[in-house]
Amino acid sequence: MASEEQDVLRVEDLRKYFVIGGGLNPFSKKEKFLRAVDGVSIRVPARKTTAIVGESGSGKTTLARAVTLLDAPTGGRIFFLGKEIRKTAKPKELYRNMQMVFQDPDSSLDPRSKVKDSIAEPLHGLVGGDRKGIYKNVLKSLEEVGLPEEYADRYPTSLSGGEKQRVAIARAIATYPKLVILDEPTSALDASVQAQILKLLLDLQTQYSLSYMFITHNIAVATYFSDTIAVMYAGNVVEYGQTRSVMTKPRHPYTVALVSSAPLPNPKVRNLLNVEIVGEVPSAIDPPSGCKFHPRCPYAEKICSETSPPLEEIAPGHFVACHFVEKTA
Amino acid sequence: MSSSNPIEKKRGTRLRSFFRIMRAHPGLLAGFIIISILMVISLAVFISGLFGGRITPYDPIQLFVGPRQAPPSWSHLFGTDTLGRDLFSEVISAMPTDMGVSVAVVAVAVAVGSSIGAFAAYFGGMFDEALMRVTDVFFALPVLVLAIVISVILGPGIVNMMIVLMIVWWPTYARLARGETLKIIHQNFIEAARLGGLGRVRIVFRHVFPNMIYILLVYATLDVGTIVLVYAGLSYLGLAVTPPHVDWGQMVNLYQDDLLSAPWLPLFPGLTIAVSVVGFSLLGDGLRDALEVS
Amino acid sequence: MVELLSVKGFTVTYKTQWGNVRALDEVSLSIEKNTLVCVVGESGCGKSTVALSIIGLLPQGASVANGGEINYKGVNLSSLDENRRREYRGTEIAMIFQEPLTSLNPVYRVGDQIAEAILIRVAREKGKGAELQTEVMKNAYDSRSIRRPSRLRIRSTMPPELKAEVVQALKLVRMPDPEQVPERYPFELSGGMRQRIMIAMALAEKPALLIADEPTTALDVTTQAQVLKLMRGLISEVDASILLITHDLAVASQVADRVIVMYAGDIVEDASALDLFGEPLHPYTQGLLACIPSGFKDESQLKPIPGRLPDNRNPPQGCKFVTRCPFAMEICHKKRPKLLEPRPNHRVECFLYGE
Repeated sequence: MASEEQDVLRVEDLRKYFVIGGGLNPFSKKEKFLRAVDGVSIRVPARKTTAIVGESGSGKTTLARAVTLLDAPTGGRIFFLGKEIRKTAKPKELYRNMQMVFQDPDSSLDPRSKVKDSIAEPLHGLVGGDRKGIYKNVLKSLEEVGLPEEYADRYPTSLSGGEKQRVAIARAIATYPKLVILDEPTSALDASVQAQILKLLLDLQTQYSLSYMFITHNIAVATYFSDTIAVMYAGNVVEYGQTRSVMTKPRHPYTVALVSSAPLPNPKVRNLLNVEIVGEVPSAIDPPSGCKFHPRCPYAEKICSETSPPLEEIAPGHFVACHFVEKTA
Repeated sequence: MSSSNPIEKKRGTRLRSFFRIMRAHPGLLAGFIIISILMVISLAVFISGLFGGRITPYDPIQLFVGPRQAPPSWSHLFGTDTLGRDLFSEVISAMPTDMGVSVAVVAVAVAVGSSIGAFAAYFGGMFDEALMRVTDVFFALPVLVLAIVISVILGPGIVNMMIVLMIVWWPTYARLARGETLKIIHQNFIEAARLGGLGRVRIVFRHVFPNMIYILLVYATLDVGTIVLVYAGLSYLGLAVTPPHVDWGQMVNLYQDDLLSAPWLPLFPGLTIAVSVVGFSLLGDGLRDALEVS
Repeated sequence: MVELLSVKGFTVTYKTQWGNVRALDEVSLSIEKNTLVCVVGESGCGKSTVALSIIGLLPQGASVANGGEINYKGVNLSSLDENRRREYRGTEIAMIFQEPLTSLNPVYRVGDQIAEAILIRVAREKGKGAELQTEVMKNAYDSRSIRRPSRLRIRSTMPPELKAEVVQALKLVRMPDPEQVPERYPFELSGGMRQRIMIAMALAEKPALLIADEPTTALDVTTQAQVLKLMRGLISEVDASILLITHDLAVASQVADRVIVMYAGDIVEDASALDLFGEPLHPYTQGLLACIPSGFKDESQLKPIPGRLPDNRNPPQGCKFVTRCPFAMEICHKKRPKLLEPRPNHRVECFLYGE
């Protein structure tokens, strides 16, 4: 595992709680919290891709937004390029090196701005410079993401979903940031377009030594695309490590269920029909006690409903949060 | 899943798409024609007035330019009143007043209201709460009562009535802008702008307003028609213009007693009011359909 | 294998502001009894249009060209008028959609909505089908109707036999807590549960064919696995066929007996699941399979298909895939390929296999 100085991002015990009102009584002191991210500690090694995988309610998108400080975290620490950013970061300095690509291509671009203006925006806002210089950079960005120069003067409504995502990517890398957070960038795209975008992202990563934090619910994409992977469930990381290690031999019971639920494109191996996962993702307001997965876990015992298991290193670089991890060996 | 829609607007085809839209939306075309005519006439009357001339066939306030209480004829298109004034000239000369007041009131209401609403929605918190309560108060104010009260305090007059109408109308746009802003700020491009280092105020001007402009335009256009009617009501009550100036509402008041003896006298001013209201409605509805605004 | 439904030479065009879009171009396919057929394709390929054509719910701007047929139990459904068509909709052929929240009526309990479906079946069996259907079916399937559904709410409790059937329907779809769920409103349930309710409602009619349009796309992957497993099991349990529309080839490989691949309004390949994945014949199918990420990035290469989907308003003269096909020949630019059968029960539309 890379040493700490080589991590572009390190998150310690990050929490993001949303306050849910206390009912009809405006004076009620009974506030409830939606624990979207409930103590997450992960590392994103430099020049590599870390995938955050989970289903709805896992907190993966909230994690991404908390890291960028778009939603102020409730607790924990965030170290970016070695410096703690929660208290000391100035947005303009932070975002020069940390950018984000969003899931929905239709809402990522201002429909009333031309493509060139959308891409130039972070250059104007974070770097500055004269119009001509910035325009040259915009054209260069278009070329890098495989779009022809004529697209600069077009409006997003005349672009396809894949093209819009390319523009969003061009905008994100315009300042050549160190870390790009990709929140389900291909989930809304067709399979062939997804492959094009993933290939583009890989090429850009090699060319500009970018680090990626890749949020997705698609196991196959995460397995293919990432170097390290973190599996989230109901606001916690339940398993974390090198992708090869975690995906070949998942150890947390949830990861096992998740991986076996992912459809393989092979009609001879119908793994899907043998999946035995039961129940639903728990409420984030009133989560189960102890280990949040215990109501659905086939190996759960008394201790699982009492204490939440910490992340433990069960093999070099492979961490699992489970009291009975030996049961999945 | 998005798919591509490569509709390009090069400079030459802008005009062509303008005509295509007009052909596809007959209501829009009708409204556009009506309002254009009214606006052109208003402007012509106003400008000629500045230079001391006039474009109307007769001087509107001059008495006895024709026979008294004459019905419409080729020489007096709308007829004449008991004092021999040409009705057509009177109606036309009032056009800049009625049009101008309505457009001005809506313009100010939109500008002030939408700014307040947009900033309240984006910045939220106490500011937003305060705005909602203030607009609640203003919504409760009845136009006519307020108008009468103001006219008692400050005296009647066009400007005072314009102020009344602006006060009553801006909250509508504050609410509208607030609602639209709330929709817009949840879009990802707003967050991308923050990640691009833009401050919140700049985001409102750069990204929020341009995306609201179509819906504001549609509502404003429809509202101008409404204001024409409301203002006509206020001037009917005598709260607006003072003689010898005229405007349509006041004309209806002036001539209402002649309804049975010389029906053209109250009819034509009233008809003109109706036509302008319908024109703005058609234009506003047409814009809504053509711009695909909800 | 007995044929249940077949589509022959069906062409559908949509009139839009920007021109006429050819959504389906002389499409022919066949569904046999007790099978699960998957129609797979990317956006704009026409897969949803196929589903809507079969059930007769094409939107207003759609026009069907003459000569197309949808043959079901000896009747050409597309030649029927709306009243007669309605007799098949929801009864012989049922459909569920992608987003269950908008398919379920939010102001009625789910138990009532399932009961409504059961009542329709009962009425149909008694022969009173037509009148009751006119009102109830309109509300169940036509979102444009605003009339209130039937007399369910006049009684505040359901008669016990009806309740028992509702519970039975829920057990069929493996709903946890089948006794309590009928009292719930749709918003109280999760996406996976709502989709099961939709399936239960569709099956309450005992249809011969269930059409599912991207039923699991909006669901989590573990929930998707549960629902797909359920659908696969239902085929034998309720003596029905399922037509599953999806954009996900991997999903198709896991549940389908037969896979039909569509591209830009055409069927390009039609084969059993084993044959299609074992020996994909059409270059598009091959390209699509190469696009699916599998394994780790240092082991395998993602080979994206170059180019873009064609413009459905101005379809190219020859094969629609020609601009993106690595094997394109001269004839591919000039003529449209016909559906051939180079292997037994494995059809392809491609000049590589003859003319």
